[in-house]
Amino acid sequence: MIRVGLIVNPIAGMGGSVGLKGTDGEAYKKAVELGAKPVSSIRVRDVFSLIRRKDILFFVAPGIMGEDYVKGTGFKYEIVGHVGEKTSAEDTKRIAKEMMEEKIDLLIFVGGDGTARDIADSIDLRIPVLAVPSGVKMFSSVFTLSPHAAANIIDSFNKETPLTEREVMDIDEDAFRENRLAARLYSYLRVPRIEPLLQASKEASSVGKSEEAQKREIADYIVENMENDFVYFLGPGTTVKAIADRIGVEKTLLGIDAVYNGRLIGKDLNEKGLLKIIDTYGKAEIIITPIGGNGFIFGRGSKQFTPKVLEKIGKENIIVVGTKAKVLKLECLRVDTGDADVDRMLSGPVKVVAGYKEEVIMEVRA
Amino acid sequence: MIRLDLNENPYSPPKEVIDEAKKGLSEVRRYCDPKYLEELRNLIEEYTKIPKDKIVVSPGSDIILREVIHEFSIDRKVIAVNPSFFPALECAKRHARKLVRFQLTPPEFRLNSEVLMQEIRDPSLIIIDNPNNPTGVEVLDRDLIIKILENTNSLLLVDEAYYEFSLKTSSGLINDFDNLAITRTLDKGFSLAGLRVGYLLAGEKFREGLSDFITFLPRPSVYAAITALKNRDYMRENVEKIIRERKRLMNELKELGIEAFPSSTNFILIRSDVVGLSGRLRSKGIAIKDLSREWIPGYYRISIGLPEENDLLLKSLKELLNKES
Repeated sequence: MIRVGLIVNPIAGMGGSVGLKGTDGEAYKKAVELGAKPVSSIRVRDVFSLIRRKDILFFVAPGIMGEDYVKGTGFKYEIVGHVGEKTSAEDTKRIAKEMMEEKIDLLIFVGGDGTARDIADSIDLRIPVLAVPSGVKMFSSVFTLSPHAAANIIDSFNKETPLTEREVMDIDEDAFRENRLAARLYSYLRVPRIEPLLQASKEASSVGKSEEAQKREIADYIVENMENDFVYFLGPGTTVKAIADRIGVEKTLLGIDAVYNGRLIGKDLNEKGLLKIIDTYGKAEIIITPIGGNGFIFGRGSKQFTPKVLEKIGKENIIVVGTKAKVLKLECLRVDTGDADVDRMLSGPVKVVAGYKEEVIMEVRA
Repeated sequence: MIRLDLNENPYSPPKEVIDEAKKGLSEVRRYCDPKYLEELRNLIEEYTKIPKDKIVVSPGSDIILREVIHEFSIDRKVIAVNPSFFPALECAKRHARKLVRFQLTPPEFRLNSEVLMQEIRDPSLIIIDNPNNPTGVEVLDRDLIIKILENTNSLLLVDEAYYEFSLKTSSGLINDFDNLAITRTLDKGFSLAGLRVGYLLAGEKFREGLSDFITFLPRPSVYAAITALKNRDYMRENVEKIIRERKRLMNELKELGIEAFPSSTNFILIRSDVVGLSGRLRSKGIAIKDLSREWIPGYYRISIGLPEENDLLLKSLKELLNKES
């Protein structure tokens, strides 16, 4: 029997049909006035109709946040927490924490980027999640592709299922409504890594080892090749964190840190801090990993690397790292720094360090 | 289960080949007599027009590929493309200076030849299947192959597993360039996947390094391969039938609105947004190759089956697409 939590954001996705690009804050009221219909309930019912296994004990949020969809499906369930007449992001956060106390093995949530941020605030990397897409904005790479894919993952999930971290993005909704895309890496959630059914085949796979082992390999290779008297700016993400772990310094998971001769010389740096270090030390290299799914290296996950910083560093001093499980699935790497000249400078073929003594040559596109 | 996931030939070899394999089985207590191996090499010489002292026969082309990687990756950069399915590439890292993969991306799946030429300034072993499995694309054209070979620092191994379908080969360059080798197989065009017979056409540098490679094939495999190479018309007819089916399948896939990429092999690469396509086809009894484990999600490789198998595939795809819309 596996213990699975379920939290549904009942208003996620309602802005889309009425052209609102999200239902954060006041936009929800407007969506309802414009006649928006609930989307999440359809999504979650689709998922339930496709689950084949029966050995699940559900822990569900009350009413329209969970209970309503599991009722009558034949699954055993317990209700967690309380909600008032109107539900809010605070309910999601509080109930997610309460579910953790119930020792759930997996938390299913239905919503968009906003819901993903609320869940990340409460549980960060402690419990694996299954994110069912229902929002308008889904720039985070935690989401499954569809209810069908979600049901497949639920059917095959167990306590030994390998997990991997995926990015949760924070999009500024007000800017987004004005057709500007202002995004930053907000946090990480851990999701089940379920590969397509392994087929009987003589064909060797290029992916091979587990993602964690690949990260360690990358870290070993990078650290062995680090030069003395050189500053390295370590970008966000768990692949780069593995490099910091290997050096033995603490890493700001979502921020940029600087190391010099194995010592930490700057933590969670912004543009000003980065420029100051470049001025002081003269030369620096950036170590960066692409965001899974969309392949962005600059312009989405690490806004602190501004066009000014990137110009000073130069393309030749950028080291891109990424596990094969991540980079071989990308069509290309992407940049969107907001400065067309810098984007052009960064474009073209680049080597990605993908393992120990292992590189993948990929195209960077603006 | 209809197997359209392993690029096998849907047609059986001729009866004479099966009979010879059976004859080989009836004699299995004996090792294969070297005279039969000699006959096999003579026939490969006649088929490829490459002198037999440059031919190395192997139990499946995988084994000789593995041998080449072990022998020639030492202190070299090993260069390949992704996706591709070579055995032992990962192990190459033990002895190689570095393993470099070029990511092939849609819609052209082109190898960046400028970057490749920069990369091979260091001593390199380049291993590329041409046409590439699973994209079906000719990654290397003749000019690029010559440019690579003119760099005497590099060794180039071209896998021509699908030669019988593409009819394009670099074998004519073997006599001029000692740093070229080509692998072929009787698995695909000749319908002998279950017997594993492959061979290497080796330029001088490769031949020297492989001089201690002992070829020892099972009797049934050798007998069958000899007879298959004597019945090339039968093979050609099958190949032509498969190519006709490939063209038909290609058109029909496009009519269904599925993105299908041109191929000169016995398979077609497609892209589809239908989630879990391979799993859903599998539940209908049809296996296709989902490439999302090693490459960009949404791409699948479909081997050309018998006409009735292809019909069934099209019917199932149509049903799935109707359900989606």
